[in-house]
Amino acid sequence: MDYDWQFGPVFRNFDLLLWGLGNTLMLTAICLVLGLILGLAIALLRLSRLWIVSAPIGLLIDFLRIVPPLVQLMWVFFALPILIDVRMTPFIAATVTLSIQSAAFFAEVFRGGIISIERDQWEAARSLAMPKATMMRRIILPQAITRMIPTILERGIELLKTTSLVSAISFADLLFQATQVSQSVFRPLETFTVAAGLYLAVILPASIGVRLVERRMARSGVSTVG
Amino acid sequence: MYEFDFQFILDNPGFLWAGLKHTLALYAASLTIGLALGLVIGMGRYSTRKWLNWPATIWVELFRNTPVLVQMMWFFFALPVLIGFSLTAFTAATMALAANASANAAEIFRAGIQSIHKGQWEASRSLGMSYGRIMRRIILPQAIRRMVPAFSNRAIELAKMTSLASTISYAELLYEARLMSSMQFNPIEAFTAVAVVFFVVLYPLTRIVARFEVDARI
Repeated sequence: MDYDWQFGPVFRNFDLLLWGLGNTLMLTAICLVLGLILGLAIALLRLSRLWIVSAPIGLLIDFLRIVPPLVQLMWVFFALPILIDVRMTPFIAATVTLSIQSAAFFAEVFRGGIISIERDQWEAARSLAMPKATMMRRIILPQAITRMIPTILERGIELLKTTSLVSAISFADLLFQATQVSQSVFRPLETFTVAAGLYLAVILPASIGVRLVERRMARSGVSTVG
Repeated sequence: MYEFDFQFILDNPGFLWAGLKHTLALYAASLTIGLALGLVIGMGRYSTRKWLNWPATIWVELFRNTPVLVQMMWFFFALPVLIGFSLTAFTAATMALAANASANAAEIFRAGIQSIHKGQWEASRSLGMSYGRIMRRIILPQAIRRMVPAFSNRAIELAKMTSLASTISYAELLYEARLMSSMQFNPIEAFTAVAVVFFVVLYPLTRIVARFEVDARI
């Protein structure tokens, strides 16, 4: 292959790519936090003893986990505004879709974490006459969340990769910026290679870090869920 | 209040049917190639020989640590510049999904093979069996059984990923829905229909996989 690689035009627009990377990271962070908060709420509803509450929530979780994220994104961006008559921006559509999707995932992780806590912990707390909310907050959740740490981190990385879909609705993330740059400098090979390299530069160290955390937790005998 | 009107979709099943056929074609091609390639790369990952292990490791880390949509864009927009001829959306999408699936499959193969107790190797070797024969007759039959739940999960993930091909204008389900919604001005019905099709097809499969997982744990 005697293709003449020229990275110069791409690097002259490097600030545009970095701006996109910043947006990617910001979107990931926002959706991760919202997903965790909303996920906990959904998990508690899912664990409700009332069948009329837990069954529809279970179906909703399944639906959000099975329908492809890009289909959900298109639905929120193109269909939802007609249904509820709001002005939709790519940022709002992206945040709503990815937060809810992560929430559905985290709900199952929270549920697994909560039910993994041994029965004697519940009984001990109850025998101290602790109210249910205090028991959840002080005894069960701290232990459950510790067990969920590797799964939460892994999911964070998955989420970062999934944010690239928002380029399809023109949110200025790294992939969208790469598309723009490649069109303006007519260098798709170099631009997309650099963009992929930027993703790799963020995601690879993060994955290695998560693997280390997993190994350390396994070695010190902390049980994990997910 | 918005009035739903699914009549157009029900009267013109051809739209979604054409999309579903393309989705299935893309899925079948990328799953088959991905699994075959994954077995080869998984063996490379498991190998102690550097010239086999290193390229396999780089391949796996590269495709597992970048977004699959970026990979698809790369194969569709960037690779043609390098090879000097353009690729159809189907070819580019198949390449990206197969490469991605192969990296994931390789890790499952490797973990599955590693999970087999060392005593199995020692026993087979003491019977004078060759490496290839031990792998084929002793290790893989046991390992593959353990890999079934992980593979099934990845296979379902891959089915969901096929929808990304709509971004490079491959006429699968989601693309057909977009096309229909821009012609009929019915995005709610069009995108809801696609979501429902995916759910109806994949939901029973996820239930079966959950079953496998319970069985594997016992």
